[in-house]
Amino acid sequence: MDSSAQLRMMVYASLLAALTAAGAYLAIPIGPVPIILQNLFVFLSGLLLGSRWGFASVAVYLLAGAVGLPVFAGGLGGIGRLAGPTGGYLVGFLPAVWVIGWISERSKTRIFADVFAMICGAVITYAFGVTWLKTVTGMTLTKTLAVGVYPFLFGDAVKIAAAVLIADALRPVIRVPGSRFRGSNYKQ
Amino acid sequence: MTERFAFNYRSGTSVLHELDVRFKLVFIVIISLASLKAGMPALAALTFVLVMLLIHAGPAVNSILKLLRYVSFFLVLIFIARALSTPGSPVLEYKTVSVTREGMYGGAVVCWRLAVVITIGLLLVSTTRPSEIKAAVEWFRPLFPFFPKKKVSIMMSLIIRFIPFIFDQAKETADAQRARGVEIRKNPVYRLRKLLIPLMRRIFARADKLADAMEARCYSENRTDPELKSRQADWVALGVVIASCFVMVAI
Repeated sequence: MDSSAQLRMMVYASLLAALTAAGAYLAIPIGPVPIILQNLFVFLSGLLLGSRWGFASVAVYLLAGAVGLPVFAGGLGGIGRLAGPTGGYLVGFLPAVWVIGWISERSKTRIFADVFAMICGAVITYAFGVTWLKTVTGMTLTKTLAVGVYPFLFGDAVKIAAAVLIADALRPVIRVPGSRFRGSNYKQ
Repeated sequence: MTERFAFNYRSGTSVLHELDVRFKLVFIVIISLASLKAGMPALAALTFVLVMLLIHAGPAVNSILKLLRYVSFFLVLIFIARALSTPGSPVLEYKTVSVTREGMYGGAVVCWRLAVVITIGLLLVSTTRPSEIKAAVEWFRPLFPFFPKKKVSIMMSLIIRFIPFIFDQAKETADAQRARGVEIRKNPVYRLRKLLIPLMRRIFARADKLADAMEARCYSENRTDPELKSRQADWVALGVVIASCFVMVAI
């Protein structure tokens, strides 16, 4: 990748990190549990940027939060947040985005592969999140699942569908020299 | 849009503007950690100081309050979860669910603490230039050995630059679509498609332009950062912050 492409990817990665931060503020009030857009943009980082730059995007996002910039859900920043009960989800975004990017890069933009990648990503996020939540709060596994997973599953399904639509709309726009995504929409 | 004021850097000559950004970052970490241990009286004192600083330093109090409105949902949720799940003397009882006094107290403290931490973060962002934050992050880089230092600090200042921009664009897109009558339809999927996708396209097109502009100006990673200088006032402030944090944890 030449320096021009590097620069472009860096700007995109920062943009997706900023979107993740903005998504932590915006809640769409549908149903009892509002949909928070934070992990939608984590999914999209993987789909649009691939494993390497998606990982960079999320890593910088977490780092910005750790040094106290107000980027986490509800505009919270600070190291205390990463160590807090929901910190596991945030840390889980890192392996999740890498896996999403990795699968999506190899799938040559097939819609089912993208959906599969995001499901894997969500599972990884929850695995980290629930493990940590359980350790911190000392709840039983069933209770932790009831608090930390089940209320969000419907929202995640909606977000995966939205991510597919957005990725489809954006891949032709994103100009990454040498990217296999260039100009390609989903194959039927 | 109101978020803009809270999130953007605003020039000024307040105490917070004058302080060295490295010290400000350290303050944030110390105060956030101390507030985890603080009780009601300490939080009240901290809130008082923060409100004074807000009035003194720039971002109007009501713009912060408006931003807190977005957050209030989380705060309410946390409060309810606490109030229901903490054992203690019940205030209200309904079948198996009971709201306890201890739970309400605990919930209120947690919510207050979160609101305080948000306000501190916003104070930092609104009184510090992104380029200064970038320089400070670079200065602290020995703490993060695994990251490519230059890129990380540039990306971080880009994030700070992009967040208010995203809110602006969201507002503009929503206005434009409202003018076209998109919001008359109740279907949330339709509205999402008509809002989120144009918004994302718009934002990415702008990011693309930004990358072009950076390239056209011969952007490179070796840049001259603003010089960071610590003065006596910074060390005094550090002493004050550490001392008051000890007091906060103690009471």
